[in-house]
Amino acid sequence: MRVLTVDDSRTILAMLHHTLSNAGFEVLQAEDGQQGLDVLKNESVDVVITDINMPVMDGIEFIKQVRASGVHNALPILILTTETSQDKRDQGRAAGGTGWIVKPFDPEKLISVIHRVVH
Amino acid sequence: MSDLDDFKATYFDECSELLLELEEQFAAIEEGDRSSDRLNAVFRAIHSIKGGGGAFGFQALVAFAHAYETLLDHVRDGRVELSDSVAVLCIRANDIVADFVAAAKDGTALEAGYGDHEKQQFDALTSGDPDMAGEPLEEFDIDFVPVMVNIAGAEDDPSEFAEPLDIAIIDDAFEAPPLLPEMGAWTIRFTPHSELYARANDPLLLFRELATLGETNVRAIIDEVPPLNDFEPFGVYCSWEITLRSETASEAAIAEVFEFVEGNCDLEIVRGAAPVVEEEALDAEIEAMPSFAEFAAEPAIAEEELELAPVLSFAELADSMKPVLKAAPPVMPTPLKQAAAEHHEFEGENDRRSGVEDRRNGVQSIRVDLDKIDRVVNMVGELVITQSMLTQQMDETLRARYQELVRGLEVLAQTTRGLQDSVMSIRAQPVKTVFSRMPRLVRELATKTGKKIRLETIGENTEIDKTIIEQLSDPLTHMIRNSADHGIESPEKRLAAGKTEGGAIRLSAEQAGGNILIAVEDDGGGINRERVLQVARDRGVVGPEQTLSDDQIDQLIFAPGFSTAEAISDISGRGVGMDVVLSNIKKIGGSVHVKSWPGKGTRMTLRLPLTLAVLDVMLVKVAGSPYVIPLSSIVETIQCARAKFSRMPTGGQVLQVRGEYVQVVDLASRFAMTTDVERDNRFVVLCEAEGGVKVALIVDDIIGQQQVVIKSLEENFQSIEGIAGGTILGDGNVALIVDVQGLKSSQTSHHKSAA
Repeated sequence: MRVLTVDDSRTILAMLHHTLSNAGFEVLQAEDGQQGLDVLKNESVDVVITDINMPVMDGIEFIKQVRASGVHNALPILILTTETSQDKRDQGRAAGGTGWIVKPFDPEKLISVIHRVVH
Repeated sequence: MSDLDDFKATYFDECSELLLELEEQFAAIEEGDRSSDRLNAVFRAIHSIKGGGGAFGFQALVAFAHAYETLLDHVRDGRVELSDSVAVLCIRANDIVADFVAAAKDGTALEAGYGDHEKQQFDALTSGDPDMAGEPLEEFDIDFVPVMVNIAGAEDDPSEFAEPLDIAIIDDAFEAPPLLPEMGAWTIRFTPHSELYARANDPLLLFRELATLGETNVRAIIDEVPPLNDFEPFGVYCSWEITLRSETASEAAIAEVFEFVEGNCDLEIVRGAAPVVEEEALDAEIEAMPSFAEFAAEPAIAEEELELAPVLSFAELADSMKPVLKAAPPVMPTPLKQAAAEHHEFEGENDRRSGVEDRRNGVQSIRVDLDKIDRVVNMVGELVITQSMLTQQMDETLRARYQELVRGLEVLAQTTRGLQDSVMSIRAQPVKTVFSRMPRLVRELATKTGKKIRLETIGENTEIDKTIIEQLSDPLTHMIRNSADHGIESPEKRLAAGKTEGGAIRLSAEQAGGNILIAVEDDGGGINRERVLQVARDRGVVGPEQTLSDDQIDQLIFAPGFSTAEAISDISGRGVGMDVVLSNIKKIGGSVHVKSWPGKGTRMTLRLPLTLAVLDVMLVKVAGSPYVIPLSSIVETIQCARAKFSRMPTGGQVLQVRGEYVQVVDLASRFAMTTDVERDNRFVVLCEAEGGVKVALIVDDIIGQQQVVIKSLEENFQSIEGIAGGTILGDGNVALIVDVQGLKSSQTSHHKSAA
């Protein structure tokens, strides 16, 4: 199974990579929404995990564009964010996000949340 | 756990970048740029520091960053005005964050209550806002332990997982409230809306998760499904009724399964089992779901579209992204030359731009170990040498006979040069990383001295070797301190001299051939030459009869222990400083030059090599063997016949050069070799070692100047006193690099000289 992780923090990317690859996922990385879109142009993935606050293109816009592309309607997108406030989450979902993961995540939860949205 | 240490190292790396960026952003904010881009960048930086800090349990850091972030959030959406006092508070807060990060990195504890005062100020500014202020701070004490989870898609190699965990782990996802012991059954009626599918949620997965709570019985209600003719591919026609039998499941636990789809479906959770329905409907149990899911949800459609229209939709996607790309400011070459030509007028174009944009817009990057790059740099160096060796072998007869070979060699020469440039540029970084620390220094200096000082930076995108950049910070700091302290006059003096009240310091960088020039320029009073010369004579730096040109007097400020500050200030007048600049810059193969215009200002210029891997050298011959001397340490060359040597009582020799006595080192005898070159045909290479001390090297012949690639002796052989390394010349011969500093310090033990 392939996961695309999108986050401007290298720390978070590294931790996601570690956890996900230990769990047998193949991990792709992007540092902002624009890079995420570029990856999706050429690669097929089973699930996307994206941060919200990012430079160049934030997570909300990224999700919107992924959905607007028309070919990723069934691609689960998890919002990775420390925002516990409801409004960020709602914005993310309104844009087309499938679910969310609260940072800092614990590895077990991360995996279990992925399984909530991926076959 | 080493993984954790790795992550921490990444985190601290990232923190220092983010802190640097904060400084850049605030430098611009202070100048009045309060655009939302800047505020957002500041917010993101603090947000990232907090986010990573949370993962490692740096609670003090996270608590402070959280309060600060809340303030920034208020500032960026206008709830709190970014007044000067708030900006000052933010800058202070950046320092505190930096301190917290440093403490976390070193594992030291800061004094209790550090930052509390500022935190209270944040709270006061943001109070009355229930939205963020009341946001609970997550519990950040998670031990980062990777677990093996047996997951779908990874079953190919079950042996990989020592202890496969059942998928039932989902039970405790999302801090489920304690499950109340409840006997019995629940009925869940679930009608998805089309948005649910649009967000890639899948009822099947929900049922699968529900099944982890207890025994489920799923019935699909398909009464709404229209005949095929009326069937809309994206229509939603199905709803479900699920009976869950569980001794432990609570309503909250069930609702949590549907957490992600809340608002995108009609959901009803009631106690008690659903009434038994007809047999056939019951057949639509969870096992039958996959086929249904494929049928009801998009995948089938999506796949079809993939085949039919991917090109078109991506073209559209690309189109829709164009405005984003256009919005990025183009990276423009700095109008350096023009600015440099008008060095008296401080009206050069200020090219400060948001560092974030420059760095991130559309630029993809990977991180590579410096070691790996250095290996490539080294190999390219070898390639360049081999190439020039081959070219040298081509004499006229060969050229005439093998024209194809000549052409091939020309192409090879071109390619290797291109390759060398490209590889060098990998190690290069914009000087901005150092320049961006300076605005703050100038602000501090202005406050301390009570002067008004404006800093301009030019050419901050000029790139230079990373190692050199790392060595630049101290010298630049000293130079700017010197300009602020000794160069710029007090506002009263300036007004009296008919200048503007506020002074200006300009920091510029430009590439000139194989060098980078970095200049610190001020529009202050210029160097007081009379006083400098007086002090120099008093301290014996300059002999009593020696006469110096204005230019030579100016350079005296770099002499060791030289300081003309009338009152020793806590900024730059400690008598160390400018000589440290000189020795630091020499260490990285550069030189320093100062030029002053009385009453108008001073310019100090650093000339730096583009890279440390290639050294500009003078090629000399001693006892038949080639040696190279770094050009940066050479002052002048003199023919032996014209030099005046004097013998010291100790047996050593000295040479008088312009009233100055210089130690003499005969390289042939120093390296225990005999030369048959007549003494009057030999040459003296006058070198300057660290601290401005000169040493005269006697060599047999001077061949010329060239660039060489440095090879370490320590790595390949062993360290030798007086030799800094080796290099391979174009003809394939090995030449040793003379270590002027090393020769100087070992001079006393080898005083046997002959010239």
